[in-house]
Amino acid sequence: MTDTITEALHSVAVGDEMTSLSRTVSQSQITAYADASGDHNPIHVDPDFARAVGLPGTIAHGLLEMAILTEAVARWAGGYEQVASVFCRFSKPLLPGETVTCTGRIVAVDDSLHTADLELEATSSTGERVLTHGRATVRLPR
Amino acid sequence: MPDQSHVGRRYEATGQVVDGTAAEAFAKAIAGSDEVFSPGAVPPTYGAVYCLFPTLFQIFSDEEVGMSLAGLIHGEQSFEWPSPVRPGDVVDATAVISSVENKRGMTFLGIDHEARRQDGETVCRGRSLMIVR
Repeated sequence: MTDTITEALHSVAVGDEMTSLSRTVSQSQITAYADASGDHNPIHVDPDFARAVGLPGTIAHGLLEMAILTEAVARWAGGYEQVASVFCRFSKPLLPGETVTCTGRIVAVDDSLHTADLELEATSSTGERVLTHGRATVRLPR
Repeated sequence: MPDQSHVGRRYEATGQVVDGTAAEAFAKAIAGSDEVFSPGAVPPTYGAVYCLFPTLFQIFSDEEVGMSLAGLIHGEQSFEWPSPVRPGDVVDATAVISSVENKRGMTFLGIDHEARRQDGETVCRGRSLMIVR
């Protein structure tokens, strides 16, 4: 694919950075996610239980972090329906009060399928890479 | 503990209703406020609720598979959304245990999920990697 074609196709090109999204995740947000998702694992809501299993305290659901990552992709791509797929590895825990920052860049553009592939990462305010191997495919406007 | 003999086991949770009010509460939880990104839309990762969890909970409570929830870690997750899901959609969720690997003293369980709307359209596919220590 030539740069000219990519430019013509909505000025999206390999190497472009996704607009990053940062969000501070509070315990009340984690608790709301537990209620809204039905994942009531006590490691997310019960500090004593979390410490008893060797964690520093409660931790955010990996799927809540992935939800924020997916929202970052959707904001950049122009809406939830533009997001075709997302993948990530839950590498490190995110603790309540920490800020998660989601970043990404385009690694491929398919001008016949009208899609772009991104590599993604989410990092906590303490510098931990909480989500790694992140990948998404977005549908580009035709 | 899960082993190779469990690969191919299939689970089904039919008639999952994509509830608009529940999806809105989910969107607010993602936002951490009432200011959701796309009001009225079902957040894509709400697929956790209608596509993953109904069958994951069946797998976790399948005594023949014998998952130990105590040391359970969610390792990786993928989602695909071939077609948008809307409030009021009714989907059938299925899951298949696609891989079981034992390495470094841990068990890695791969699960393939699908949610199909009752008109036959697939609205969500997922692959979960669960790690049991």
